[in-house]
Amino acid sequence: MAKKKALVQEATEAQAVTETQAEIAATSTEAASSPSVATEAAPKPSNPPKAEENLREPAEVKYAEELAWLESVDTGNKPFSWRLSPRMIRTFILGTQPGEKLARKIDQKFFGDATLVERAIVTLASDRGLLLIGDPGTGKSWLAELLAAAICGNSTHVVQGTAGTTEDQIKYSWNVALVISQGQSRDSMIASPMMKAMQLGQMGRFEELTRCTSDVQDALISILSEKYIAIPELSTNNVVFARPGFNIIATANSRDRGVNDLSSALKRRFNFIHIPIVTNKKSEREIVMFRTRDLLRRNNFDIDVPAVLMDVLLQTFADMRESAAAAASDDQRLESSLSTAEQIGVLEDAILYGNFFGEKLLTANALARSVIGGLVRRVPEDLSVMNKFWHAVVEKHAKENKKDNTWKEFSEGGKSIMSDMSK
Amino acid sequence: MPQPQKSRTIAQDRFAPLRGQLLAAVQAFSQGTHAIDKMLAAIVDDMERATNEPVEIFPVAHHSPAAAIQILRRLQDGPTPKVIFVELCEDLQPVLPGLADCQLPIALQSFATETAGFPPDWSPLTVVAPLTEFSAEFQAIAYALSHPEQTQLVFVDRSVDHIFQWLPQQEGALAEALGHSEDEESISEEADENLHGTAYGVQMGRMEPTFEGFQEVLLSNARVRHFSEWWDQYVESSIVGADYQTYREVMCLVGSLIRRLGQSKERLENDRKRERYMWTRIKEHLAQHKLQPEETLFICGAAHTASDVDSFGTQTPHRDPIPPRTQTKWLYGIIPSSFRSIEQQFGMPDGAISIAESAWKRSQEALGLRSLAIKDIKDTSQAKPAPKKTPKKTTHPIDPTNDDDASSSPIASISSVPDVLGFLQRPPQLLEQDEEQLLRWCVEIVSMARENGYLASTADAIAIYQTAILLGRMRNRHHPSPYDFQDAAITCLEKDRTPKKRNVQRLCEILLGGDRSGHVGYSSLPPLAQDVYDRLSALPVTLKGKTIQRALMDFRQNPEYSACSDLLWRLHYLLGKNNSLVRPIMGERNLGQRALQESWDISIGKYQAPLIQLAYEGVSIEQVLERRLLQYAFSSKARTVQALEATEDSLLYLEARRLTQRLGEHANDLLVQELAADAAQDIFERVRRLVHYYRSTPEGLPPWLQHFVATGYSHFSTMLPEAFSDRGTSPQQISGMLAFIFTLESLALSMGCERSQLMIAIKQSASLTQDPEKLGILWAAEWLLSVRDIEEIRSFFDHLLENPLTLAAFPRYLDGFLLALTFTPLVSRLIVELLSKAFERLPDQVLMPWLPSLLMGLRSHSNTLLPSILQEVAQIYPKTSKELDAWIAPWYRERRKRKTTIPTPLVQEIRPALPTLSNEERSIFQIMADHPQTTDALAHLFGVATTWRSPETTETPASSTATAAFHDQREADIHAILRHHPQTTDALSSWLGLSASWPTEPTHTPSALVSAKPHANAITEYLEPEAAAAAALLHHHPQTLTALVKHLIPNPQSV
Repeated sequence: MAKKKALVQEATEAQAVTETQAEIAATSTEAASSPSVATEAAPKPSNPPKAEENLREPAEVKYAEELAWLESVDTGNKPFSWRLSPRMIRTFILGTQPGEKLARKIDQKFFGDATLVERAIVTLASDRGLLLIGDPGTGKSWLAELLAAAICGNSTHVVQGTAGTTEDQIKYSWNVALVISQGQSRDSMIASPMMKAMQLGQMGRFEELTRCTSDVQDALISILSEKYIAIPELSTNNVVFARPGFNIIATANSRDRGVNDLSSALKRRFNFIHIPIVTNKKSEREIVMFRTRDLLRRNNFDIDVPAVLMDVLLQTFADMRESAAAAASDDQRLESSLSTAEQIGVLEDAILYGNFFGEKLLTANALARSVIGGLVRRVPEDLSVMNKFWHAVVEKHAKENKKDNTWKEFSEGGKSIMSDMSK
Repeated sequence: MPQPQKSRTIAQDRFAPLRGQLLAAVQAFSQGTHAIDKMLAAIVDDMERATNEPVEIFPVAHHSPAAAIQILRRLQDGPTPKVIFVELCEDLQPVLPGLADCQLPIALQSFATETAGFPPDWSPLTVVAPLTEFSAEFQAIAYALSHPEQTQLVFVDRSVDHIFQWLPQQEGALAEALGHSEDEESISEEADENLHGTAYGVQMGRMEPTFEGFQEVLLSNARVRHFSEWWDQYVESSIVGADYQTYREVMCLVGSLIRRLGQSKERLENDRKRERYMWTRIKEHLAQHKLQPEETLFICGAAHTASDVDSFGTQTPHRDPIPPRTQTKWLYGIIPSSFRSIEQQFGMPDGAISIAESAWKRSQEALGLRSLAIKDIKDTSQAKPAPKKTPKKTTHPIDPTNDDDASSSPIASISSVPDVLGFLQRPPQLLEQDEEQLLRWCVEIVSMARENGYLASTADAIAIYQTAILLGRMRNRHHPSPYDFQDAAITCLEKDRTPKKRNVQRLCEILLGGDRSGHVGYSSLPPLAQDVYDRLSALPVTLKGKTIQRALMDFRQNPEYSACSDLLWRLHYLLGKNNSLVRPIMGERNLGQRALQESWDISIGKYQAPLIQLAYEGVSIEQVLERRLLQYAFSSKARTVQALEATEDSLLYLEARRLTQRLGEHANDLLVQELAADAAQDIFERVRRLVHYYRSTPEGLPPWLQHFVATGYSHFSTMLPEAFSDRGTSPQQISGMLAFIFTLESLALSMGCERSQLMIAIKQSASLTQDPEKLGILWAAEWLLSVRDIEEIRSFFDHLLENPLTLAAFPRYLDGFLLALTFTPLVSRLIVELLSKAFERLPDQVLMPWLPSLLMGLRSHSNTLLPSILQEVAQIYPKTSKELDAWIAPWYRERRKRKTTIPTPLVQEIRPALPTLSNEERSIFQIMADHPQTTDALAHLFGVATTWRSPETTETPASSTATAAFHDQREADIHAILRHHPQTTDALSSWLGLSASWPTEPTHTPSALVSAKPHANAITEYLEPEAAAAAALLHHHPQTLTALVKHLIPNPQSV
């Protein structure tokens, strides 16, 4: 939850910054994205919105150098005002393949089916919006951010959908003070992130689309089909047209599907792409390591997670998913969706805990503590589910792997924290 | 014919630039050039060698439309080959004429149930070689069959037998070899659609690399998901339109590359064996028929063109020995196949074959060719002179009328279009049809989606088209492939949920052709299958339909259907319960029952394969059934039960009295040899069924069954003592034996058996076992034989319950009695009594742990034993809660009643000392003794007449009197104690709401008693207050009870 909130805040902050960033991006794409600019800006300590100082950098800043390089070698056809050709975007997101004749290696950033990414890119080049749908924690928002960063170099035109989102936040609102003093004009109007994206011909992002009420969602219909927003309050200059390159990347949670179903008119204007939960252990390991490293870099340390512990974590999650799938009622399964993102959270938590309070090295005990601390949300339901799981499955692993002490330690750690919690 | 010399020089010149480019590529891309350098050079060498071979080698890939198109053009336009050698198992060739009445896809099948020399767990062995219309081998077969005078067809690959010979001869090896297809099967949801079963698939020109690393790199670089997609995109689509020579060269190059890089070692070794085999066979054939190699065509997988075996090519005389076959008897036939089955068999992605089919149709249209089909074969069977069909309008460059020496052979004619390198560098030509096809797909998928509940419109068609093009571009394709189209359709149409049964993926598969299954026509069917078709034709269903047909049969209206029903039941029996061919929906076949109506689901049209397989075993269903039954009953492992089962089945499904008798006699023979009793229960049930059935027939029991019963009676009787003493024989088995003995006793006695045999056996058994369960059974049997008296048993258990040390054994005895229920329902009352006593008297610490096992034990008998127990319980226990208050168990009641019904003289002897008997009562007794009818009637009402008049009691008056006396004595003592300590009883009665007066006994005049006679309840009422009070008292003050019991029974009487 905390993370989500941070993201919302960040998004709103970003809105303020967007103007400048977008302008830079629009006027001189080269300058904005070249690494030299970024490093030049860094030494000035007085300015608050410095790229290096942000808690979390958007993808276009983080991979600015890589994007700029890709752009410089890109010879493919670029649709609209895209910075990169579709093939380059795929390379940016999925990393280089051995057959590609690129001079440098690009790391894989999204781990999933290549077809899925290709379909997403192609959708954005077509007339329709893109709706990424999937369980929480499957990387929808991350893919959306990467796509926006690669296509237009700005992933911060974000509207966060909540139950309280209003049409104003999708279209525009008014600066009341200015309206009183100067009357309604384009100057006193506050454009929404969507409108800004339209004006700049960039990607607008809509997070958690299904959390909004249906009538608010429907505000997107005209944006997606007519590609303009009318401002009836003004008598002149009252239509904001989208420039080529504008499109919308929305994400929706398949668990909350029933909350506010999309109207069929809106459905028609989106291509749905289902992002599945990663079940392949190998790629899940890669994702967890990739994201955890990434997150820990914020705290300026890098840590090597022992392979055994990684196995323990992945196995535990796989087992938990299995038992959750087998459970008959909601009371018998954990509230958590047990997604990859949860694993990342658990691992990060364990590492941070070990780093700040324990030995520097990650131990099985600390991992167990984080697993339980992170996943037990409802007491007593979750705790009893976890208790059952721990004694049935984790204990079994501990007994089977006698040679290796890790499982045993892991199991003991879990038991001790559970007994603490149940006091 | 062109001289090989000449074409070689041309070829060498031609291949130089190709070599140059390959070497340049090596230098540009790799550091250590040696290995790759050599390999790439070798690829070109391979190609050169293959194209220079005098036998015209035609390289193919499996189910490749391009190969089919090319062979079609070659056969229509080139010189007619005298012989076509085909890489297919040589022993499959004889079944080919059967193709005439089939509908593709079908599969040539070879089948063996009994194998010689192979590991036993392999059998049955099946091999299938699926044929589709768009495969080069089928086109060649069709050509050869329709031009029999000009062209001879020869299959040259190893025989079916060798396939299995060459597998490692271990238990699991076959499963491993089949592993691939089995995996696929488990993934597929519609596994039952696999028409091949667990067959070993043979396919011509299998190209898929078996070396995983190579395949991985290949696929990830080409951005495809599956090898067949790669093949389709990079090879297939480009060579379809190529000229003949280029086609051969390109295929040789690809084949050589895959053979040299992409194959695993085992596969290579297997390939070499086959190549030696094939070339040896080719040379043999050429020598035998004195043919020139140039007059022949050899169709083989592209990878075989790069063979490195010594016998490759007709220019070397080297031949290899052909290994002999094993003794296994192989049977051959044609079974229907389907695209989906082929995909599953060979691990192709879903829809791959459908896509190949659509490519085949498209290229045929584009090139103006007409394929050879099965009907061409049929034409020749009508002995038409088979002239070449008038040449079709073709757009290909070769002019068949050109008489020039160089161009009469397609090989030479191509040398004027020499540039294979140029071909490889050019992008493939886009066929107009491709574009049109894509548009058509876009429109059709939208309408299909709409039919399936999607909200799809023209806007979606546009979006799909656009997306498909974009995807194709992004994946580096000249034109979107069907796979791109599929992705695009899913992207644009699939929303958050699937509205109806099918999702867009599935719709796309259907659109691209869908599954198609073949059909073997009537005249191609073996006699057994034809017979089945003939006999079922009376039914109002279409047997050739691919759908499931429901046949409703009313035998009263249509008596002729009963023959069909017999046949269906036989089929159902032979094919197993879970077959998809015939399934009974309503109606069942039991001994002695004849259904009036039946309904069946018949889908013989779709699943012909099992029927055809059945036909390998005999010429009619009855014959196969008879053989199966005899095999089953006479196999070395068969025991009595199996023989009886076969006998019963023969009665059910075949009206063959002689067979039944033979089987029954065999069962009798087996029974005599039987040493263990483990199947006793089963034997008993089967024999009982047979006896019941035969009794209902006019002929009565057949001799064999009478003999069987007699044999069984004496056999089981003899075995009883051993069974009781043998710890390995379970109580269940003993109860089965006794069930046989007792249930069929009368019959056996009539056949000359003696009961004394049983009596001796039972008496002998008594001393042999200590096992409580077996004892329980034994006592029940003894009781039934009047060797043991129920009172004896009862008192034993009373005694058992008193002693805390023996309590634990009680449940096990009870289990024994429960088992005895299988042969006599009489014990059910005793069981209920014992159970009730157990609940009443067992302490919690014994009762509780036993309860679960009791429940589980009863549950396992829920069908057989429980009903009779429940019936008994229902009789004994009160039905309403009101009655419960005033209820005592009959076994206690009996005791009371005995007191009231004991003849006066006896009572007078013993009872004078009792203070409770008033004069009045004595007079009652007197009256009752004088008029025993009343009491008898009463006793009869209660069903407890034993102590009064039963012969046992009369025979042993002393003991019964003693018992009665004892009981009366005890009650009197209780009365005395209660009287001396009235507080307890007072408290109790006030608590119960009774008056605290102490009558010696409730007074009743004889007349009252007599008037109560018709109302049996009155007597119970008379007894009740006291009994209820006592029971309640005992319940509340267990100390009193213990004291009482101790006082009364210092030394419990043992019976």
